[in-house]
Amino acid sequence: MATLNTFAELLESAERSGQPLDAIFLEAESVERELPPERVFQIFRDRWAVMKDSVRRGLAGGKSFSGLVGGDARKVMEHTARGDIAGGHLVAKCIAYSIAVLEENSRMGIIVAAPTAGAAGMVPGTLLALAEERGFDDDFASRGLVVAGGFGALVAGKAELSGAAGGCQAEQGVGAAMAAGALTFLLGGTPGMSVHAAALTLQNTLGLACDPVAGLVEVPCVVRNGFTAMLALTGAQTALAGVESVIPMDEVVEAMIKIGEAMPRSLKETADGGLAMTPTGCRIRNELYQIR
Amino acid sequence: MISLLDIVGPVMVGPSSSHTAGACRLSRVARALLEEEPVEARFELHSAFAKTMRGHGTDRALVAGALGMEVDDPRLKDALEIAKARGLKYALKPRNMGPEAHPNSVAITLAGPSRTIAVLGASIGGGMIEIREVDGFPVSLSAKDPCLLLFYEDRPGVVMRASEIIGRRGINIASMEVLRRGKGDQAFMRIDLDAPLPPEDVDLLRGMPGVRRVHVLDRVAGGAPIT
Repeated sequence: MATLNTFAELLESAERSGQPLDAIFLEAESVERELPPERVFQIFRDRWAVMKDSVRRGLAGGKSFSGLVGGDARKVMEHTARGDIAGGHLVAKCIAYSIAVLEENSRMGIIVAAPTAGAAGMVPGTLLALAEERGFDDDFASRGLVVAGGFGALVAGKAELSGAAGGCQAEQGVGAAMAAGALTFLLGGTPGMSVHAAALTLQNTLGLACDPVAGLVEVPCVVRNGFTAMLALTGAQTALAGVESVIPMDEVVEAMIKIGEAMPRSLKETADGGLAMTPTGCRIRNELYQIR
Repeated sequence: MISLLDIVGPVMVGPSSSHTAGACRLSRVARALLEEEPVEARFELHSAFAKTMRGHGTDRALVAGALGMEVDDPRLKDALEIAKARGLKYALKPRNMGPEAHPNSVAITLAGPSRTIAVLGASIGGGMIEIREVDGFPVSLSAKDPCLLLFYEDRPGVVMRASEIIGRRGINIASMEVLRRGKGDQAFMRIDLDAPLPPEDVDLLRGMPGVRRVHVLDRVAGGAPIT
């Protein structure tokens, strides 16, 4: 993205060219990679196929490496199949699919990081759920994936996307914001609405600690992907209705960076604080590592 | 400049992009610099890297990279057993690199039958990496793009002759870094290229007077899937 560094520039470019967001991002990536836009899109199509497969494998799979997680995505789907659902099929699938990817990840299965492995659930989970419920084909869903990637790239140009540097807000917060922007795009929102959806979503994850029990990408990471998927859906729903973020997206990203810097190391992936240091968290850690 | 394909990607073996995929890539760079099959590998891990090592498969990923595996190789999770079978001895231990070091830093020493290489790098999120030291020389290297590393004796004309060889091939130099320990002492050059340099030109660089060694890094850490 030679000339695209901020969300403000993105909106300006969309306004000026009248092009959809995916076309703007594809062109920028094409210039950067020195590949034709069709080739770049094909890579996105291929990654979308891997993502869908990771949901499928996740729903079918068993327990994680440690035995702490696994099987929850399937529980949500089975519950949904019985028709006993709190929030409709789209909601249930968003939750189950997002969790499924992370369950597959926890088994050292093949996933697509988006933007990271620990936050890899929301983008495929919500996009696949929406595509199935609305009958979108793989080409159209992959266009949403391009938008998600573009939003993540704009954030990553300013902030390091790792729990170690910025806490969970920098991983799942950004993943949910990417998903929110993509969902809004696929549902016919304007570029402005997509950016508002991302800003509304990201600001509601600010300060989120990265405090994994026993240092594993399992508790709370796996189910959290289902919860933050709901934030992405809320972001899209509100932005499509015309709700705007008072704080512009670029400034929300700046706030996220400053909060990440202010967070103690104990809450940034070291497993030295938060849930990891609760009596149960400590017990699990001790049991796991005595065995090994 | 961040690529969309680095954000929706990499396609990788879980569970952590920085502690599994990034770790594997750091080790892949060390292996590429060694230019032979390693027989011994030592990994020293700082802060978050050390704390979550086993749970994130960092140990397996580092060893997998030393064995030449890619981040999406399903054998990555069996890397420790594969290392034993292939006769690669490895050791992992924590090392406090101080408050300034990136929490996901690792110092890698690989030894092959004829040489040893030391690399210090950090996994900086989403599977992206930065190499910060090669054999004690401070560098800044993503290892995503084609790149040359030259170790040579500090003397006039080396930079000019090297850029001449590359220029004659019609390859553009994207960026360049030249360092030396002292006047007339050991010097180091990093040349980022827009396209890989053909082996015969690399041999010309190796044959230049005063040049001790030339390393070629061609997108070992997640470059564009070009075709």
